[in-house]
Amino acid sequence: MASPLLSISNASKTYGSSRALIEARLEILPGQVHALMGENGAGKSTLIKILAGVVAPDSAQIALSGQPVTIHSPQDAFNLGLRFIHQELNIVPQLSAAENIFVSLPYPRRAGFLVNWAKLHADAEQVLAQLGIHHIDPRQQAARLSPGDQMLIKIASAFWGAERAATSVYVMDEPTAALTGDETERLFKVIRELQNKGCGVLYVTHRMREVFEICDMVTVMRDGRVVETRPIASTTPSDLIRLMTGRDLEQAYPPRTLPVEQAVTLDVRDLSTRQISGIHFQLHAGEILGVAGLTGAGRSELLAALIGAERRLTHDVLLDGAPLPPLDPTRAWERGFAYVPEERRTQGLMLSRSIQDNITLPHLQRISRGGVFLNRASEKRISTEMGKSVQLKSTGAEQITRQLSGGNQQKVLFARALVQTPRVLLLDEPTRGVDVGAKYDIYTLIRQISGRGAAVIVASSDLGELLGLCDRVLVMRKRRQSALVDATGMTAQELLTLCYDEAG
Amino acid sequence: MVSTQAQLGRWLRRSGTLIGFIVVIVYFTINIPNTFLTLPNWLNISQQISMLAVVAFTMTIVMVMGDFDLSVGSMASLAGIVAALLFRDSQPVLLGVVAALVVGLIGGLINGVLVSYIGITPFVATLGTLTVFSGVAFLLSGGETIFGRDIPADFSTFARGGIPVGMVNERPLLFPNLTIMALIVFVIVWVVLEQTAFGRRLYAIGGNVEAARLGGVRVRLLRLIAFMLTGMGAALAGLMYASRVASANPTQGAGLMLDAIAAVFLGMTLSEEGEPHVAGTLLGILILGVLDNGLTQMKVDSYVREVLIGAIIIGAVTSSSLNRRGR
Repeated sequence: MASPLLSISNASKTYGSSRALIEARLEILPGQVHALMGENGAGKSTLIKILAGVVAPDSAQIALSGQPVTIHSPQDAFNLGLRFIHQELNIVPQLSAAENIFVSLPYPRRAGFLVNWAKLHADAEQVLAQLGIHHIDPRQQAARLSPGDQMLIKIASAFWGAERAATSVYVMDEPTAALTGDETERLFKVIRELQNKGCGVLYVTHRMREVFEICDMVTVMRDGRVVETRPIASTTPSDLIRLMTGRDLEQAYPPRTLPVEQAVTLDVRDLSTRQISGIHFQLHAGEILGVAGLTGAGRSELLAALIGAERRLTHDVLLDGAPLPPLDPTRAWERGFAYVPEERRTQGLMLSRSIQDNITLPHLQRISRGGVFLNRASEKRISTEMGKSVQLKSTGAEQITRQLSGGNQQKVLFARALVQTPRVLLLDEPTRGVDVGAKYDIYTLIRQISGRGAAVIVASSDLGELLGLCDRVLVMRKRRQSALVDATGMTAQELLTLCYDEAG
Repeated sequence: MVSTQAQLGRWLRRSGTLIGFIVVIVYFTINIPNTFLTLPNWLNISQQISMLAVVAFTMTIVMVMGDFDLSVGSMASLAGIVAALLFRDSQPVLLGVVAALVVGLIGGLINGVLVSYIGITPFVATLGTLTVFSGVAFLLSGGETIFGRDIPADFSTFARGGIPVGMVNERPLLFPNLTIMALIVFVIVWVVLEQTAFGRRLYAIGGNVEAARLGGVRVRLLRLIAFMLTGMGAALAGLMYASRVASANPTQGAGLMLDAIAAVFLGMTLSEEGEPHVAGTLLGILILGVLDNGLTQMKVDSYVREVLIGAIIIGAVTSSSLNRRGR
């Protein structure tokens, strides 16, 4: 048996008190396409970042073709022949295909400082040809290439030079996320070409069909550990889903104490934006509705449409039985919607402003004297009170939000949403980047709010969270509503199966 | 003990601009002993800087959102011309004044629509309107200065008037009307920015425009209104200028814009998070005015003066941004 091209073992990484990676191991043989699967937070990206030299592990033994190596920086990883291709297409659209291939490499020169354009284009053509790509003109502007061809350009860029390194391992992180079916086929052809040349490929994906089409081996991670590595030939999609989710749902979620009320708070009969369509559901007072779906399936876009941040193409919605006109966020807050966005730093908080300013922003009209003049005493009282109710740790309502930890920043956004008990509370990834203790606080809080009669919608990539907290789950698939199911008695396995396209 | 030292250090860094200002005053007091630190001189300074102050105070409104307005100087010129032309047609003073202010509002409206509804960056949008407003001022006036009998006495005596506060050399010492005007604008802008929900929302936009929008702030409308206020402030400054020199020409506001932005920047060095506040802008204006006044009295060449003032602005802003980066 050939010695592995790349092997990593005993890889561990701890962030503060949370263990992101626990004694993980992985081997990639020459000519092997190796799938890496797992739920969000399972430790896949930490493992990849260690290989890329971006994250320093607490411990890890890495060997290339049997030789122990250390990787301290991205430059080390590059020199050792490791190449990383991310799902975001970080190309320079104004430059030509050839220039993009060589953008992080030295351009061929003439007379020491002039770019040798003829050689640049010839080299680009050559590297594309080696990968069996003949339909891309190196002189063409990258902006005019399809996303799939842009991805191929990135791979060609990674391939150049790696062929001369002793090892060459390509790590591809969800490369097909932005690609169409035809483009994916073309990418697979190139991957097979790499395989024929004896390169190794580590292929990270959520797409079951691709794993069975292109990969030879699969490694499944869960909760920071490698659960199992086995040949694709001896596994099935349902095996993989069981391996990915196989955890119990007990403890971590506070139980429902009050029954869901009969009254329908929000009746969405038809809702669509440029991003999502086919949304229709009824939400009762006191109910918690989950929104599930794979990355890019339209979870966040659904919440953005409900708070009025996106223009709606169709809008047939009733609030408390009365027709609701399409609102902008200002009116939505006024009508009793509250929103905690996905990205608290870019979408949620004014980091340079005080806790108090952040909490009262959507409610200023009501708090201010005559709706015009600030009432700081009242703002401070409300902020302090709300801060207490979400167990915010701070030096006071005047503290600058930037100085708070991630979990406490998230609590500021919850405090903002709770100033008035909302009719409809929209939560996008409410516990992302929040440690376990704070998570439980937040779950308890969500329960309390729904207990006060608020209708709650939680979009999350954490299936356990959706099943542990929600009464029903709306499943988004390819930017459409694909299912609306009762969460009681459902397993994460069943829910994940619903999220996958051609799975199961 | 350590924390007291750290607090003192932080206070010193944050107050560097203020301390610099005091040093400058002490320096001039020593070097110009008989005239600098006197009431008449300071009333004179206050009158000299009043037009610039009005522009800078209202400029602060848009800079709070992270925007700025390059067209204020030519708007000031245009407003002066519009008023003077109406005066030449023997229209009442009040009509001329109101018309000039309306022109300011309309100019600001154009800037606001370009920036906030069409989505052009403030730099490009207001650079464009700077040229347009200036061109319109030339067109309306035929490129000439309007002065003399065309400017009614009711209008031009305003700038020379004031409230008597004492006697110097048997002549009444006046607290200038222009200074009072600037102080009124200061108070209005301070109330708007620091004491109203409107002002708080502008600061929210400056802090994080997307978060402000999702948090229920009507970003586009507020930006539009802010630009209109800045435009009206520029027009008011243009009127004050025209009254002071009892004439109007299409270039007289030209120097206002850069100094106004500089004053806001100087003021921003005083705030912990680097946000503009109108009180800081006031200090910035005073620094510029005092330097100008003191250096003139010391007979320092005006070119040297410009180099010095430029260097001071760069120095103050550099030190405060280094501090912020170091945190």
